[in-house]
Amino acid sequence: MSFARIVGLQPRVFAVARNPQINTLVSRRLVSSSSCAHAQHAPPSLESNLDEKVNRNRGHPSSAAPTSDLSVDPYRNGPSAIDKAVHIFFFTEIIRGMWIVLENFFRPPYTIMYPFEKGPLSPRFRGEHALRRYPSGEERCIACKLCEAICPAQAITIESEARLDGSRKTTKYDIDMTKCIYCGFCQEACPVDAIVETQNQEFSTETREELLYNKEKLLANGDRAEAEIAANLLADHVYR
Amino acid sequence: MVSLARTIRNIQRVGLREWWRQMQYIGDAKSGRFVGRDQFGNRYFENMNAEEEIPGRHRWVDFAQHDFNATQVPPEWHSWLQHIRKDAPPEDPVFAKVTPPWQAPYIENLTGTRGAYKSYNTVAPKINAWEPKVKARA
Repeated sequence: MSFARIVGLQPRVFAVARNPQINTLVSRRLVSSSSCAHAQHAPPSLESNLDEKVNRNRGHPSSAAPTSDLSVDPYRNGPSAIDKAVHIFFFTEIIRGMWIVLENFFRPPYTIMYPFEKGPLSPRFRGEHALRRYPSGEERCIACKLCEAICPAQAITIESEARLDGSRKTTKYDIDMTKCIYCGFCQEACPVDAIVETQNQEFSTETREELLYNKEKLLANGDRAEAEIAANLLADHVYR
Repeated sequence: MVSLARTIRNIQRVGLREWWRQMQYIGDAKSGRFVGRDQFGNRYFENMNAEEEIPGRHRWVDFAQHDFNATQVPPEWHSWLQHIRKDAPPEDPVFAKVTPPWQAPYIENLTGTRGAYKSYNTVAPKINAWEPKVKARA
């Protein structure tokens, strides 16, 4: 038994070094080649030994008596004392941990270079708010105030008036983005899909005042990002 | 800098001039397919080969401005760059369908400049100071 075998290093690591095919080596480096730490003493077959544990006390109906368990050896299927002593005295867990560090030292880093590269985002991501318009250009919000009612942070303030053509529209639609918790209840409550949370997460500001959004700002957000919002709603409409 | 072989390979592909520009901004030599250019001149690249680029780093943007920030990416390209949509905006049939004619030109986040958004009230004030009106004497 070689030292590498004792400390838990897989012999295939050295087999790979002898392998002349570079492609195999590269693809091997992309996946982990370290063995799972708590799998070293597992039996070769993947069984849970549940039956043994269930049936262990079957011969002893009076399991309340402590003396009846003395005949059962709980270490019967575990590692032997010599096995455990070897792993303790040769620091195998430390060596295996350091081997993982060494493996990752030679792998390409996983760092994503923001803002040039960005991580994946869901079409349901809840970011900055926007008020949408109908394809005709008419604003969607009908001032039903359902979003204001459901908002758990009470960040939305709405006032409404009847327009000259008789339709009810908001005159004030304020969202305090410093209060908002981005729960998405407002866009779920909206019956006309007027208030939505866009996928924009980069709306940080220098002052607190700039985060007190009013209706003009929200409509401008929607006007700029309408194509993205509509495409996301289209991609997600079968699940809504 | 991931590995010397990767760096030399990407320099051979993109050329010294492009590599120098990449080192000034991204800080890494990357090569891939040129996907498109948006209205601001930002260039977008993609390399789907998992042996050459770590998955997650396979889409990137080269900003046109020296003073770059993440909000200079317009929303359509933003949804491509953040892997929300599979296709780039010029090839995406959905974007061509859902873009309304009244879509406003995109403006980056202007915080910290004179163009920053400043909040204001959109309704008329409900409490006004008393303005006495004197009736004309007969």
